[in-house]
Amino acid sequence: MNSGEFLSEYFPILVFIAIAAGISIAMIVGSWISGIRRPDREKLTPYECGFDAFTDARHKFDVRFYLVAILFIIFDLEIAFLFPWAVSLGETGVFAFWSMMVFLGVLTIGFIYEWKKGALDWE
Amino acid sequence: MLGLYAVFLPLATFAITFLFGGFLGNRMVQFVTCAGLIASAVLSCLLFHDVALLGNTSVEPVMIWITSGNFNADWAVRLDTLSVVMMCVITIVSACVHLYSVGYMSHDKARARFMSYLSLFTFAMLMLVTADNLIQLFFGWEGVGLASYLLIGFWNHKHSANRAAMKAFIVNRVGDLGLALGIFTLFMIFGSVQFDTIFASVAQFKHETFEFWGYEIHALTLACLLLFIGACGKSAQLGLHTWLPDAMEGPTPVSALIHAATMVTAGIFLVARFSPVYEYAPFALEVVTYIGALTAIVAATIGMTQFDIKRVIAYSTMSQLGYMFFALGVSAYGAAMFHLMTHAFFKALLFLGAGSVIHAMSNEQDMRKMGGIWKKIPFTYAMMWIGSLALAGIPLFAGYFSKDMVLEAAWADQSAHGNLAYWLGVTAAFITAFYSWRLIIMTFHGKPRADEKTMAHVHESPFVMTLPLFVLAIGACGAGYVFYELFVGHDRALFWADALFVLTGNDTVEAAHHVPMWVKKTPLVVAVSGIVIATLIYGTGGKFAGFVSRLLKPIHALFFNKYYIDELYHGVFQKPLIALGRLFTKWGDQKMINGLGPDGIAKISQCGSQILSKIQTGFVYHYAFMMMVGLIAIISWIFYQMVMV
Amino acid sequence: MMDMTTIITDLYMARADVFLACAALILLAVGVCLKTRAFHRIAIGGVTALVLTLIMTLQQDNSGDSITLFGDMLVYDRFGVFMKVLVSIGAISAIFMGVRDLGDHVIGKFEYVILILLATLGMNIMISSNNMLSLYMGLELQSLALYILAAFNRNSLTSSEAGLKYFILGALSSGMLLFGISLIYGYTGTTSFPLIADIVLIEQTDMVSMGMLVGLVFILVGLAFKISAVPFHMWTPDVYQGAPSSVTAFFAMAPKMAAMALMARVLFSAFGELHSDWAQIIFAISLASMALGAFAGLVQKNLYRLLAYSSIGHMGYALLGYFVGGFTGVTATLVYLSIYLVMTAGTFAMILSVRNKDNVAATNLNEFAGLSKKSPVVAYGLAIMLFSMAGIPPLAGFFGKLYIFKAVLDGGYYTLAVLGVCASVVASYYYLKLIKIMFFDQPSAHDDYVVAPSRLLRWVGVPSVLFVVTFIFYPDWLVYEATQAALSLR
Repeated sequence: MNSGEFLSEYFPILVFIAIAAGISIAMIVGSWISGIRRPDREKLTPYECGFDAFTDARHKFDVRFYLVAILFIIFDLEIAFLFPWAVSLGETGVFAFWSMMVFLGVLTIGFIYEWKKGALDWE
Repeated sequence: MLGLYAVFLPLATFAITFLFGGFLGNRMVQFVTCAGLIASAVLSCLLFHDVALLGNTSVEPVMIWITSGNFNADWAVRLDTLSVVMMCVITIVSACVHLYSVGYMSHDKARARFMSYLSLFTFAMLMLVTADNLIQLFFGWEGVGLASYLLIGFWNHKHSANRAAMKAFIVNRVGDLGLALGIFTLFMIFGSVQFDTIFASVAQFKHETFEFWGYEIHALTLACLLLFIGACGKSAQLGLHTWLPDAMEGPTPVSALIHAATMVTAGIFLVARFSPVYEYAPFALEVVTYIGALTAIVAATIGMTQFDIKRVIAYSTMSQLGYMFFALGVSAYGAAMFHLMTHAFFKALLFLGAGSVIHAMSNEQDMRKMGGIWKKIPFTYAMMWIGSLALAGIPLFAGYFSKDMVLEAAWADQSAHGNLAYWLGVTAAFITAFYSWRLIIMTFHGKPRADEKTMAHVHESPFVMTLPLFVLAIGACGAGYVFYELFVGHDRALFWADALFVLTGNDTVEAAHHVPMWVKKTPLVVAVSGIVIATLIYGTGGKFAGFVSRLLKPIHALFFNKYYIDELYHGVFQKPLIALGRLFTKWGDQKMINGLGPDGIAKISQCGSQILSKIQTGFVYHYAFMMMVGLIAIISWIFYQMVMV
Repeated sequence: MMDMTTIITDLYMARADVFLACAALILLAVGVCLKTRAFHRIAIGGVTALVLTLIMTLQQDNSGDSITLFGDMLVYDRFGVFMKVLVSIGAISAIFMGVRDLGDHVIGKFEYVILILLATLGMNIMISSNNMLSLYMGLELQSLALYILAAFNRNSLTSSEAGLKYFILGALSSGMLLFGISLIYGYTGTTSFPLIADIVLIEQTDMVSMGMLVGLVFILVGLAFKISAVPFHMWTPDVYQGAPSSVTAFFAMAPKMAAMALMARVLFSAFGELHSDWAQIIFAISLASMALGAFAGLVQKNLYRLLAYSSIGHMGYALLGYFVGGFTGVTATLVYLSIYLVMTAGTFAMILSVRNKDNVAATNLNEFAGLSKKSPVVAYGLAIMLFSMAGIPPLAGFFGKLYIFKAVLDGGYYTLAVLGVCASVVASYYYLKLIKIMFFDQPSAHDDYVVAPSRLLRWVGVPSVLFVVTFIFYPDWLVYEATQAALSLR
């Protein structure tokens, strides 16, 4: 494979980057131009959960945010796993179906556990 | 089976009383030990009848002990005339002493322990005399040594008692070394430690020699001399005798049982037991004779000058043991055993009598502080008379038969050492009679020299103490006459059977019956004159005695100070050895070995441990760093090896 | 693609592990629904599950030869059965101890039992693994459960710190392990142990590739971390000290068994032909472990740190068997591990029964002063265990060392044997020190420790003592089983 041929295979990626960059810049610039700005203290903080990004890291915070985030990640990853499974189920067959059922079963047990433990209650 | 019961009853009573003494209480302990010993004595007498008189010798196996390759040593009880004679002596005297101790030790707190020790001693002694092989004999030998140590030091609050116990133990150690070497030698020669095997094959090995540093050494002579060293230690013969007088620190019953009647005769027994071997080692016999004769005279002369009542009797014991040894040395084994037996009775009697005196005098032992008490304790006085008469060898009393037999046998040997032994023995007989009456007069007669309080307190001993005295007195009176024919008379061949062995031509006991009249009468004459002279000197009060001792001052000083042997040993052995020992402990052991060895290594280990625990910082990045270092080290090593290969 | 019947057959063959997994999940779901006494009830369930698993495992033993399942991912053989029995004993003991130690405590959450079950499942997979992937899966399942267990007392600073340290360093070691696996995969093109063994055998003829050796080193480092061999041991004292006592007991027992089994699989099943290469590594870490275990323990005041160094030393001895190799060496190691397991269980059972009035187990050596007066039974039991650990005949610990040293001497490594004996002499110091404290020291004035063993602790302690004392009479069956196990490994 010569170098020209090699590089040409990466061309779509270049296009992809260019489009992504264009859209991003357009959105930022658009909002900057058209947006109405009335800043107040709450709005200027980086996160609504109340973190100041530029102060001491040893700071009291509510652990529930993290709990929610972690639970979200677990189920989010589950989707990432389920999606390719669903698409290829026709080819992978009964074995794959039951494998996923087992996986979901384990996940359900975990779900029951977190529910019962009260991880889903905010208060 | 009788034999087993007789031997193991004392062990059983020891075990019971030693382990459960506190539970049983003093009364019960005394009862158990006395009952056990009396039963044992009765059994021994039955055995005597069965074995010695009817001739049913046997070996009763107990259990297998050591089996290692072709080396075998089993526990067994050997019952022949020699051992049953010893058993009878031991158990009868021991039973008397047990009974006596009930009274004598009645004020002692630890009397239960005392009784159990006595039983332990008796068991060990029985084990010794009934041994069927050298190892078992050695076990008994060490066992009596241990019991003796425990009993001499029984009053362990007394410093002198502890010292005496240690001295006895250590001096005996020297003898025991000889005995052990003797056992090794015999095992080397015969390849066995069984008595039967050894005795059966002695004749085969009579010309056996050892090569040692270029010298040819007659094997049997060497073995016999080594055994004799052991015998010297146990029987307090000249050279290894220094412990015996000091052993009088023990309670008087102990002195009577161990240091007069039984343990100290173990040496005699050993030589008699090995008569089949000694007969083929004439030089060894000669040495035995010389040592015995010298001991007899030296001990007698020392005894003449002592003031402690027990020490006088102790030296007398030593002197009598000397008699027995020279009897052995001239092959008159029967005579030696005969004297051993009679001596056990009258010497135990004397000791227990002395104990009774001490008991009466509120624990006073110095004869200079006694006197004038014979009316207050007439029974003890009579007993002491009987014992002294027997000791001096006055006709009809036991000592007369045996001691004369010994002396006649020595003369009958018709050799230089025999003759010497005879004349030394006669001299010693004179001195013996002299110091015996010196003792009686100083103790019982004259004016009271004790303070009034003590004198007011003088009383006859209780019945439990006088009964044993009486039993022993019967022995001291009658044993000589009754057993004369059996031990040394016409029946002796049948009596001893195979237990003793004498080469034909060496039979001095036979020859002793045919000696001239003057040889027979001289001992009696000197004994009587000894009594008379003692009475003359001491009967007139202490003045004449003081005059005589001043007259013979250098000799008296020599005798009184026991020939300075203790001082000699102290200077020659003790001091340099202690200095050497101190050097080794201080520098060799503590500084060098301990400093560089255990302590040093321990110190280094502690330091290393400290360092290692410092590495353990608690910081997780240090831990990770450590892991990386380890990983990299291993990989580097692998690379290094690859490159090198 | 696997067909369904094969899968079902394999699942049936692996029913013990499948059952354990299901049991753990069901108990989790049940436990969270329980309102009262969840710990005790789940503990009963957990022990029942472990016992049933053990029974199923032992049934497999009767089926004879070793079998491979799930496309050679797992292997079931006598070696596996032997090690699984050890792990199960460790896990059951740990639950028993946990009931005493945590059951009535604020931190006594029933998840303790579930985590032990999951860790045991992970260990069973490790023991049975026949492939780098199943190895890693089992290892991580075990490790994740252990990280949480170490930090189980989350109210305690030391426990949290222990958990965190263990987690971070464990992650590092897992990383090394994974890197090693990828190197091996890169150089051999496979992750299956038998296939690796084939390739090694072929490569032996000319020269083993460097990359493969380095990969093996990385894997060994990862595993050495798990058995806390020097210099990958640093976490051990801190975690032993920080973690709750019953968790420490579990750490000292089961994971070591599993990791040693795994090491045997890797070393003998996959890289058996490279013995001469990896033996030097084992030699080095084994010697270092013995020495450090002996010396570093000398100045420890905390009992758990002491036991940490003790276990480091013991792992050093156990590794000697792998160093010698061959089935004699492996047999010796298996015997040693079995005895070590029992001794550790017994020791912890005794220690955990000494508690103060706040129901906290004694941790410092001087808190054992005068134990012989408070409870002669526990004092003598503990003394027997410590004597056994020090290798005093006629107790079992002596025979463990005896078999190891016999194997070492048979291999002709006399110097090593002497060094090992020296280390054991040094180590006996701290065992004897504790005995001395128990029997001869006076307790301090404000000492409020009493001996309060529960029935369950007795169930652990008494059989351990009996085993250690009577092993001298029946050593043959254990040696026979270990020999059979060692022979099936390959």
